[in-house]
Amino acid sequence: MERFITKENLTRLAEELAATHRVLAPVATCGTVTFRRFQPGMALDLHSRMAAVSPKAATFPQTETLLTVKSEIPEKKPVITETLPQGKSVVIGCRPCGARGKLIFNPVYETDTTKDPYFILRRDNTVFVSLACDRPETTCFCHSVGSGPADPDGSDVLLTLVGDGYVARSVTEAGEEILKSALFADAGAKGKEADAKNEKAREMMGEAHDYVSAPAKLLARFDDLDFWAAQSAKCISCGACTYMCPTCYCFNITDDDQGLESRRIRTWDNCMSHTFTLEGSGHNPRPTKAHRLKNRIGHKFSYYPDLHGGVMACCGCGRCIKQCPAGVDIRQIVKAAQEYSE
Amino acid sequence: MSQLDDLKNAIKGRLGELECVIGWEQGYDSLHATPLFIRSEADLDRLIIGPLAVHNLVTYLTGFKGKKVGVVVKGCDSRSVIQLLNEKLINRDDVVIFGLCCDGVVSQRKIRAALPADPGFVESVEIGASDLKVTVAGQAATLRLSDVLADKCLICDTPDAIVSDVLIGTPHTPAPAASLACQDEFEAKSDAEKFAFWQETMSRCIRCYACRNACPMCVCRDHCIATSRDPLWLSQDNSPAENMMFQMVHVSHLAGRCTECGECERACPVDIPLMLLRRYMNRQVKDVFEMQAGKVLDQTPPLLTFKVQEERINERGW
Amino acid sequence: MPAQDVRELRIVGFLCNWCSYGGADTAGVSRFTQPTDLRIIRVPCSGRIDPLFIVRSLMNGADGVLVSGCHPRDCHYAEGNFYARRRLEMLKRFLPITGIDARRFEYTWVSASEGQRWQHVVTEFTRRVHEFGPAPTFNPASEADWNALAVQAGQGQACPCHG
Repeated sequence: MERFITKENLTRLAEELAATHRVLAPVATCGTVTFRRFQPGMALDLHSRMAAVSPKAATFPQTETLLTVKSEIPEKKPVITETLPQGKSVVIGCRPCGARGKLIFNPVYETDTTKDPYFILRRDNTVFVSLACDRPETTCFCHSVGSGPADPDGSDVLLTLVGDGYVARSVTEAGEEILKSALFADAGAKGKEADAKNEKAREMMGEAHDYVSAPAKLLARFDDLDFWAAQSAKCISCGACTYMCPTCYCFNITDDDQGLESRRIRTWDNCMSHTFTLEGSGHNPRPTKAHRLKNRIGHKFSYYPDLHGGVMACCGCGRCIKQCPAGVDIRQIVKAAQEYSE
Repeated sequence: MSQLDDLKNAIKGRLGELECVIGWEQGYDSLHATPLFIRSEADLDRLIIGPLAVHNLVTYLTGFKGKKVGVVVKGCDSRSVIQLLNEKLINRDDVVIFGLCCDGVVSQRKIRAALPADPGFVESVEIGASDLKVTVAGQAATLRLSDVLADKCLICDTPDAIVSDVLIGTPHTPAPAASLACQDEFEAKSDAEKFAFWQETMSRCIRCYACRNACPMCVCRDHCIATSRDPLWLSQDNSPAENMMFQMVHVSHLAGRCTECGECERACPVDIPLMLLRRYMNRQVKDVFEMQAGKVLDQTPPLLTFKVQEERINERGW
Repeated sequence: MPAQDVRELRIVGFLCNWCSYGGADTAGVSRFTQPTDLRIIRVPCSGRIDPLFIVRSLMNGADGVLVSGCHPRDCHYAEGNFYARRRLEMLKRFLPITGIDARRFEYTWVSASEGQRWQHVVTEFTRRVHEFGPAPTFNPASEADWNALAVQAGQGQACPCHG
């Protein structure tokens, strides 16, 4: 289905949906754009810049309560309640790369033997209304990892800015439902304009980098700690890259106890942290930032594609590059491994 | 000869005896610099200085313990060196300091706000003596440097490296210490307003610890109490209260040690104005102990010592 | 003495073992009536008190925190309270920027013989905290509070908090 919606009506749509859904949308606060729980009265900010943090939290919140434990009295058996996520969500105005991030989760969180009900429930109850990008940033490389500025994969509705509104195309049935709202109008000839815009945006990205050799080349550098020490020299070992990343899916589970009540929570974890691999004995198999950066990059461009049909665990949004306090560039590191000669 | 050439020559002369020299090079685009670890003369060609060289490279020094390294520092960065020396966290003989006389560095936040389009679309940057000519998304814009200087530069009273082995450039006549309008305005708010501000702002925090790891004085690195399980200071829950608690940890552990380099705020990916907290604490330290971290060599940090009779602390009589 | 007719508040007290805990004991043995809102945690010395104990208490919902140690120059360990004085003073001065009412935290010095003074300190501090009432929780208490904050925050590009 192809429809058209004005900018104003998109805000109306968000307001309408907010009555029945948890709506996440990019909102600027102090000039910083982040996805927030949209409330009527807020202004959407789809265009000033890509949101600092990816919309990953819609399907994989930073803190997810897995279960609660409650005791009336210490001697009595505690009551354990599983807290599966309830309700439906809509993400409005993410970029195609952000919506695509969750696809990387699928082969890990939903396999024949293991299913993660929290992720699956959230994924199946969240609709992504993405906005195609009209020009690439210096940090964008979605085209190099099998995607593009108007990639519909992972989105339910894809918007393309045309004039004072958006051409809206449904990608899935859930997306089609959204387009049934009376706020949408007939797209008319605007569809052609949208196609031209998307084509132009793709052209502006230039030639894609070929990552086909990356898995093997990175694996070849596995034992070369000098290589990784040099590549990680400027890394400050914080978690900005992983927490911003639409595809990073590692988590930690802890119990938050307060008196006779307790909450088992699942929280984002990050492989740049010393505690990520710290073992109970005190031994740490990844004691330095060189070990840890090797893992982050190896996982995305070597181990994951090796296991999952060559798909890179990266959607090319570039957040890890531009939000890195030290400017570590993941593209350069993979390239350095690809071009490495003894 | 330009400042940059002077600096390159100075580094070239010392490179042989050093593990590396830490400087800056152009980063992923023409608007961003990134730290450079110079190990050979070939690396030296990539060295840059100037308003885009924002990083406080002193952050890396404690990671080179036992090795002799060189570091290029601006005036503000040199305060971090002094503070590390005062706390005996680095050895003076192991560091060669290439000090700069700095004319200020940019705030990427301010550039972002001033440009006609997202700086992600930058095509070219020309750095003039008093302006930046930036082309973004096909539109040219000229930004006056004075309009996009980092907050710390607006109130800087130490533009030239205070401690150095080689000082590059012409020393400035330092301006007297000034105060920042945004700080004064924030402090004038009521408790309730400030409380609500932090509640809201901390809901944006993702606890990535970029603020901590970018901080030159956060020397605990992998052993921060924020990630310790025993004792458990912080829950993994990223609720506003836990996020704020971490900032309180950071500020407490920097009381009398923070050199106001602004790296925490610069590093924050969601632009939390952390310096509001730091500057306030630093002013309390200055008022009570008449000290500013990193300004004087061989000074004991105020919370590591005491006076039997404190002139500026009342005895809290009841 | 129960806290009159009002609900008790949660006040946390960190008392050093050698003076103030003894002082509180003296007050008790002497049957000086005191409000019962204070929960005392005994520590070896006021120098043991990490200012973050106080911050954590306040963030976890304490309505007030009272710290008391030996008078300066009377520390059982000679200089513990000299260090404590500097740390506690910095914390007290820092709190206003966070919007936490600094008057919810107080530190003072009470010796083991000063039962009467202890009674006075506790009574006065409890009265003060009752004046302010329960402390606001940092995590917004209700969805409505949250929404109000969030809408207020979604103010766009203007930023008054960076220069």
